[in-house]
Amino acid sequence: MSTDLAERPRRSGFARYRQTLWLLTSRDLKVRYSTSKLGYFWSILDPLVMSGIYFFVFSVVFKRSVGDEPYIVFLLSGLLPWMWFNGAVSDSTRAFIREAKLVRSTKIPRTIWVFRLVGSKGIEFALSLPVLALFAAVGGAQLHWQVVFFPLAMVMQTVLVAGVGLIVAPLVVFFRDLERATKLALRFAFYASPIIYGTQDLPEGLHLLAAFNPLSGIFGLYRSAFFPEQFDLTEVLVGGGVCVVVLAVGLLVFRASERAVLKEI
Amino acid sequence: MSSTGQGPVIRVDGVGIRFRRNRRGRRSFKDLFADSSRRSRPGEFWALRDVSFEVQPGEAIGVVGRNGQGKSTLLKLVAEVILPDTGTVEVSGGVAPLIEITGGFVADLTVRENVYLTAGLHGMTRPEIDQRFAEIIDFAEIGDFVDTPYKHLSSGMKVRIAFAVISRLEEPVVLVDEVLAVGDKAFREKCYARIGEMLADGRTLFLVSHNERDLKRFCRRGLYLDKGALVFDGPLDDALARYASDHPPRPSA
Repeated sequence: MSTDLAERPRRSGFARYRQTLWLLTSRDLKVRYSTSKLGYFWSILDPLVMSGIYFFVFSVVFKRSVGDEPYIVFLLSGLLPWMWFNGAVSDSTRAFIREAKLVRSTKIPRTIWVFRLVGSKGIEFALSLPVLALFAAVGGAQLHWQVVFFPLAMVMQTVLVAGVGLIVAPLVVFFRDLERATKLALRFAFYASPIIYGTQDLPEGLHLLAAFNPLSGIFGLYRSAFFPEQFDLTEVLVGGGVCVVVLAVGLLVFRASERAVLKEI
Repeated sequence: MSSTGQGPVIRVDGVGIRFRRNRRGRRSFKDLFADSSRRSRPGEFWALRDVSFEVQPGEAIGVVGRNGQGKSTLLKLVAEVILPDTGTVEVSGGVAPLIEITGGFVADLTVRENVYLTAGLHGMTRPEIDQRFAEIIDFAEIGDFVDTPYKHLSSGMKVRIAFAVISRLEEPVVLVDEVLAVGDKAFREKCYARIGEMLADGRTLFLVSHNERDLKRFCRRGLYLDKGALVFDGPLDDALARYASDHPPRPSA
């Protein structure tokens, strides 16, 4: 019988936040992998197929003049983090709508509904890194000391994805059109970010503009592990600033709209 | 045993909340970030207005009123799953909300995974769940289905396991919203017994129901809500009498 009602120690808010975040993040991964036989394989198959296509189009058909050798490693080092960004942002459009019942019945801090997506997609990204390593080994790409920037890039990307998610998730509840608008914006962002090319390949006049796309700095950091010349300090600094601003705006939007979101779902 | 005796466990002070009348009404960015002022806007109505009361530990409170008078909204405010536009709701200690109890369950995961997930979301740690797991499965009477995906359970089993999990949360406040209307008679009686047990443990109960018998069985204090206002707060029998005189039961058709 339960007699430890009052004696049970109350855990700190932070410990509880972390536990809940982990529960939902692991639930996302568990659901994904328990419902499909190929599970993990799917999360790497998509970027692999896309890399194959781009490799063919740009190396074989167009005789490309962008990117570095080996191009397949160049592509993957941009595409894999892009999958994280793309997956988390497009899932955040459904962060509340899909979980409406659960949001209505538990009082966990609402930011968790967004952060769990950042977490589960981020973990999938981390799990896909062995594929990058494999292609680098086979393709003969040289690993440089700049690989130490990898964690920094992941931190920046976490901040950015969390910020964008905090803006998108509550707004979609009110403006369902935003779901499709987000998909379109993501497709645009794919070509506007250095994934199939590097920022050096852009015309001189666009360099400053590109720096304001935080993905430029982030992808540059990832890539500098294999292609040191892709590192650009301006892009990293400006991009880092943009990431922080996006997160701040996200927190403000989220706080201001939380009350209305809870009524709506 | 009794709960820590100092001060009210629930304090609701000047609480008001409004909703849009028409779900399809036009909305703008301005609505979204609108300040939570006392002003009423066109197309909106106050589901609750200026509601204040305090609940001492160990009290059992029944909420009565007709449909759409704000009973469930009040319960959700106490559960803190919605936030008031005016006033404050303070609940010291955790809440075990028997509201939309099956909400957290995931169709594709097994019963075992779901128990750990739902209990965890409501704040239980893994060792605590380990300790109670057998008890929960036993209460729900689904011992043979522990590793079955949740979606393959019958609807009765789904409700039973959900009730079993939430009613095992070691929280000082229990909120019940008409969940007792589900399940077969035998299980319903079991739920009643469990709620009685929780009350005997010194927990605070907050019950919304249309069923006078259920209310009288557990509650001594009654809150009567009408048109979003707290019209009466006092002994349950008086609250029921007041409700009956305002809304005389229609002669049986």
